[in-house]
Amino acid sequence: MDKPAKKQGPIRFEAVIPMLIVVGVIVLYFSLFFDTHLRRGIEYAAAQANGAEVNIGRLRTSVFGASVLIADVQMTDPVQPERNRLQVGEIRFRMLWDALLRGKVMIDEAAVEDVQIDTPRQRAGYVLPVEPEKEDDGPSASDRMLAQMKEEFSGNVVGDLAAIAAGTSASEQIKLAGGELKSSAHLDGIEKSLDETEQQWRERMDALPRGEDFNVLRDRLGKVQLKDFKDAAQLQASVKELQSIRDDLDAKSKPVGEAGSKLSGDMGSLRGSFSALDKVVRDDVRGLQARMHLPSLDTATLSRALFGMDVLGQLQQARGHMNQARQYIPAGSAEKKAKPAASKSRKGRDYAFGKPRGYPAFWLRRALVTSTLSGGRGLSGEILDVATDQQLVGRPLVATLKGDFPQQGVAGVKAELVIDHRTAEPVERLDLEVGRYAVAGRSLVNSESVTLGFAKAAAASGFVAELRGEKVDMRLSNRFNDAVFETSAKSAVVREMMAASVAGLNTVSLDARVSGSWSDLDWKLSTNLADALAKGMGRYLQAKMDEARKRIENLVNDKIGEQKQRLLARRGEFEARYQSALAERKAQVDKLRGELDAARKELDKRKSAVVDAEKQKLKQDAGKLLDKWRR
Amino acid sequence: MAILLKQLFALVRLLNSDTGTNQIAAGVACGLILGFAPMLSLQALLVFVCMFLFRIQIGAALASAFFFAMVAWLFDPLAHLIGSAILEADSLQALFTTMYNMPLVPFTRFYNSVVMGAGVVSILLAPLVFLASRRLIAAYREKVVARFRSSPFWKLWSGTVFFKWYATYDKLHG
Repeated sequence: MDKPAKKQGPIRFEAVIPMLIVVGVIVLYFSLFFDTHLRRGIEYAAAQANGAEVNIGRLRTSVFGASVLIADVQMTDPVQPERNRLQVGEIRFRMLWDALLRGKVMIDEAAVEDVQIDTPRQRAGYVLPVEPEKEDDGPSASDRMLAQMKEEFSGNVVGDLAAIAAGTSASEQIKLAGGELKSSAHLDGIEKSLDETEQQWRERMDALPRGEDFNVLRDRLGKVQLKDFKDAAQLQASVKELQSIRDDLDAKSKPVGEAGSKLSGDMGSLRGSFSALDKVVRDDVRGLQARMHLPSLDTATLSRALFGMDVLGQLQQARGHMNQARQYIPAGSAEKKAKPAASKSRKGRDYAFGKPRGYPAFWLRRALVTSTLSGGRGLSGEILDVATDQQLVGRPLVATLKGDFPQQGVAGVKAELVIDHRTAEPVERLDLEVGRYAVAGRSLVNSESVTLGFAKAAAASGFVAELRGEKVDMRLSNRFNDAVFETSAKSAVVREMMAASVAGLNTVSLDARVSGSWSDLDWKLSTNLADALAKGMGRYLQAKMDEARKRIENLVNDKIGEQKQRLLARRGEFEARYQSALAERKAQVDKLRGELDAARKELDKRKSAVVDAEKQKLKQDAGKLLDKWRR
Repeated sequence: MAILLKQLFALVRLLNSDTGTNQIAAGVACGLILGFAPMLSLQALLVFVCMFLFRIQIGAALASAFFFAMVAWLFDPLAHLIGSAILEADSLQALFTTMYNMPLVPFTRFYNSVVMGAGVVSILLAPLVFLASRRLIAAYREKVVARFRSSPFWKLWSGTVFFKWYATYDKLHG
């Protein structure tokens, strides 16, 4: 049934041909399909990082040369998908086989040629949907801070001002806005506190000694013998009784004194509550202003409204790049090999056993960036030491770029980026200057009642950002020269107001500084456009805004005035009543204490007479005894 | 797929024959190492080369690799702990540093805690699995195959024309 087993050795010689076939297939794959598949893979990964489509025109690899050529790279701008944010003509690099055999990528020198920005695309690139950030523990403090700033900057202050200029009835808005006031609640609190204090004082006054208690002591004092003492013992008894009465008086008068201090304290606290009411009223007025969209005309608020979102956008961009840099180039640490965390993933943990002069997982030592256009203009720069382990490499990443993008109207670009992750505190620093770039159709204010923007301007920009650990220091200085504004409004008054505000303003400056930690940023923004708008709009709006503000104040005062007066009167009456009652008790105590002092003085006087009489008597008795003895 | 099925049929046939015990046991042991190692790694490639070069039953290796890969997945946290302990051992740091900077060796991904843990466990268990497989195959042939061949069903089946035709075909072309 079973065929007899053939005698076979341990080596499978018959597998040689199939193995050769497998090797052949692999070689064929690398020759024919690998480049295409690698190109698709890079396009996919780059699109994920870019947030929009990335195209690579041509990719060629050489296995033996370990070289790669990537040509015609186009990165779609996610904001304007019909344009590329970056286009690169050619990227060439050669890897070292010595490093590749160790599972590392080491590029000695790369060339990046024909770099251009903001170029048109043949067809609009697809944009990846923005995925909401997954936060296990909710948004971090820095996210909350940035979201708060975004909310503040996205408010339409200029639009609100224009609406007021256009004649929106303030009184109607006030009616709508006047709901529950904090000051009313505050007054209710004061009333409650006054009720409780009054109740406590009623109980305290009941517990204080009354007139009859002092009369008892006075009766005891009346019974004390102050004259006609027969001997010293009688006098001593009177002194003792007098002291006892004083002790009792002291015990009874102590709560009266304490009550006086307590009354001062309670009255002080009530006065404090009434003082705090003024602040709450101011808060109410401010709150109502906000609910009515009655903005301030101060330049700081206007500056933030005009350019806050721009600055915030740049900050968020810087933060995004910082996070990516810190993810791919981990900061160095004294304890190089961290203890493995509890098995949170099934992928385990990779350990690095680097040694001096060893290779990091990735190291691009030098990349030359060039873009030469006709007339010798163009771009040049270099990128040094892009490495996944800067501690091992011993050098920070430094990228410099200098030149122009004439086709885009951008000139005088100078940029230096330093990413230093060699120590435990990562540092990223970008110094960017753009000498001149054209601005056209840039909107600054966009609301229903008014729009304002640059029709055209020639801008220059300076941007310096240093991110050190969790600290931020970002400075931005923009100049918009030869500015031509475009503004539109439904209301003729608003049109006139806006035109008058920006008339004669040829150069707009913007200076911004954001500093502090990511969770607590200090924003300073100033622009002469805000000054001009504040001044120009002020002429039209100040009277209306003052009137509206006055109406709000009146509304608040009307709402709380009666209650406030009633409570103030009650507090005055309460203070007077208890101060008078306490003064009366204190007078009784003082009177009795005076009587006790007088009695004491009388006794002291009698005491001397009694002692003298006793002495005289003793002297006489002694003389008699001596006479008797002599005889 | 056809090659895979052919290998699996060959495994069944070999299992039911009286020969090839060592080939099957070696295949199971190789499958253990394959299942515990990452698919794209130097050690997996070496095992594949060995499977092709030496007379190891490929069907047994692939089937057991599939089975042991699932076992390895279940024991990943344990492998991570073992691997971490080995990779953090002070006495081995110099060895690992040398290996890490040697050509080709990093492609084993030995520096990963799960790979190291699973790799060490699989290499230690491979001889035991080889010996255990031999015993199990012998027991299977003795207890299951022999009893099945003496059953009336098998006798009836082996008497059919179709079976005789297949046996002749197998003798000539198998």
